[in-house]
Amino acid sequence: MRYPRWFWPAASLPGVAWLALFFVLPLYAILAIALGSVDPLLQTVRPAWNPLDWDTAAFDFVFEGLLGGGGFQKVFVRTFAYVAVALVLTLLIAYPVAYFVARHGGRWKGLLLAGLVAPFFISYLMRMLSWINLLQEDGWVNDALAWLHLVDEPINWLDGRASSVVLGLVYGYVPFMILPLYAFLDRVDPRLLEAARDLGASPAEAFRMVTLPLSVPAVLAGTVIVALPMFGDYYTPDLLSGSPNTSMIGNQVNLYIRGGQQVPVGAALVCVLMVVLLVLMLYYLVATARVARRAGQA
Amino acid sequence: MTTFHPREPRRLARREFLRRSALGAAGLVIAPSLLAACGGGDDGGTSTATELPLARPDSPVTLPLYDDNAAIAAGLEPEDGPLRIYNWVDYLWPKKLKEFGKEYSVDVELTTFSTMDEAIAKLASGAANFDVFFPTTDRISRLAYGKLVQPLNRDYLPNLANVWSALQDPFYDKGSRYTVPYVTFSTGIGYRRDRLGLDPAKLDNPYDVFWDDSLRGKVWLLDDAREAIALALLRKGETDVNTEDPALIDAAKADLLDLISAVNVKVSTEDYSKVPEGVAPVHQAWSGSMIAAQWYLPEGVGTEELGFWFPADGRGPIGSDQMAVLRGAKNPVLAHHFLDFMLEEKNAYDNFAQFVGYQPPLTSLDPDRLVTDEVVPPTLRSAVVRESDFDAGLQELELSPDGQVLWQNAWAEFKAGL
Repeated sequence: MRYPRWFWPAASLPGVAWLALFFVLPLYAILAIALGSVDPLLQTVRPAWNPLDWDTAAFDFVFEGLLGGGGFQKVFVRTFAYVAVALVLTLLIAYPVAYFVARHGGRWKGLLLAGLVAPFFISYLMRMLSWINLLQEDGWVNDALAWLHLVDEPINWLDGRASSVVLGLVYGYVPFMILPLYAFLDRVDPRLLEAARDLGASPAEAFRMVTLPLSVPAVLAGTVIVALPMFGDYYTPDLLSGSPNTSMIGNQVNLYIRGGQQVPVGAALVCVLMVVLLVLMLYYLVATARVARRAGQA
Repeated sequence: MTTFHPREPRRLARREFLRRSALGAAGLVIAPSLLAACGGGDDGGTSTATELPLARPDSPVTLPLYDDNAAIAAGLEPEDGPLRIYNWVDYLWPKKLKEFGKEYSVDVELTTFSTMDEAIAKLASGAANFDVFFPTTDRISRLAYGKLVQPLNRDYLPNLANVWSALQDPFYDKGSRYTVPYVTFSTGIGYRRDRLGLDPAKLDNPYDVFWDDSLRGKVWLLDDAREAIALALLRKGETDVNTEDPALIDAAKADLLDLISAVNVKVSTEDYSKVPEGVAPVHQAWSGSMIAAQWYLPEGVGTEELGFWFPADGRGPIGSDQMAVLRGAKNPVLAHHFLDFMLEEKNAYDNFAQFVGYQPPLTSLDPDRLVTDEVVPPTLRSAVVRESDFDAGLQELELSPDGQVLWQNAWAEFKAGL
């Protein structure tokens, strides 16, 4: 039986419609707001849907602040630093956990995994609120540190510290790193490791020369999944610090987007952040393609 | 019993976290504005680009009346409801809603918003149909010129006589054409005596307490551009809290940035809980938040540990929130009755003392009575707003569009840190 020419391409319609409706349109709306204006009377946003009406004032303002060493530059640099440190810590925590569960979980695998994920059924904000209780001066964190004789005086962790914000980011997003790593490590062909051992590799060498290189795509995938929401986070610094010295890009976006004369500035900040993240995403795509190519050759 | 400070544009009340928890990725932060945009912000129907008069005590504004937006006639029968109220979170005692519903045999539905901008965007989109709205003073002109609110018929509002005469005929809405007052507040310094170890009221300039580097880590400002910048202005003796002079705003910004290195200042709008819990030994605070703070004290800490300072001469920030009937109201008569119901002595008093913590401008209320009634502890006497405060007090009012940009950018630079 012959299908008409349009038949198979038509199968992509749901996907295309999904992307158009939930990706392209919102993206264009953000752009239209960034290049639009604000109603002079009621101060509601008036997106410039028509490119002929575009007004780049908001972008000019954002670039000026970014390149001229203003507040925007400070928050961009700070946000990238926080996310970088948080990513490394997330990876250092998630990899051993995922590895242990995948390789040594045995019949407890399912239970261990459920146990790891269970706390994350609770809303992110609720978990951050619990951290406030744990971190406060008479909270359990200080109790534990005092019991271990690591500190003499209780530390005020909520005193506007970068370390508390990074801790919040790590805790908040670590399961999203564990899950892709676990999914990958669980599928590593044990015969590859056996082959490595047969050829004289120690367990550590087998890990370093087989498991670790194989897991690069999973690490990258986890990194992308975790980094993107971290870049947009604004309530973690709000909750665990409150100091202007720990504010992130999301806080500035939130400040401008919530109303007033300069909503387009907030939208322009979002656009600039997205372009930067797009560059990182491109690296991810290139890197995974390279790994896939190598696997194909091998 | 809990209450939140409901009038703050950027507050992050615990309850709101739930609502926001879905907004993770950077792109999603923009969602509220997107919705507003899709709701028809592009129609241009209400935008007449009118130059809004900026109401000031020495330059009062009589809001215009329009033929196509007339007040309802007197003596009409109330509608069948349901009465739909649009208000801040926890800014009305639910019991009063029930009582009103019973009295008029209607259902009362409360919908809440978390910022004035969000609320106005929703109303302007035409997608919402509410009867009663609670606007801030600085937005009243916009709402009247934009024809989002309808003129009031005073025949339905005999209880307006219960409020301070200054607020029966306020400079921002002469003749109370569109609004009646709901509650009042002042902005001062809230503190926990035992945690702070000094009394700001005893300083030559109490505002200096925020810049005292011996209090490093103990100092909090309201997370509000207008309030925080006004504080820096007032400390330097500048009492025009609506100034649009770039030099003054720049100086205030520099002073605020100094706070970061001097005391590692933090910002929040949870003055009502952070002060009593001792997390913030000193916090720029709203009077109503400090009155509500007594409900948040940990066990074993008495109300005498709470302190609030407001200039004795009344030259500090002060304000009121209003009630209005929306133009699109399906139940305008019922809405008028509701306004009058909330202006009634006992209802207004109970709503304040039992739930909201923000004080209605009733002539029958004064600091002595509230202390005797044990609504306000003696140490918080200065958190009670007096009618005379509205003569001397400084209201943070509508700025010109350029002025708003000036203030917001200064605030954004402070919030970006060092």
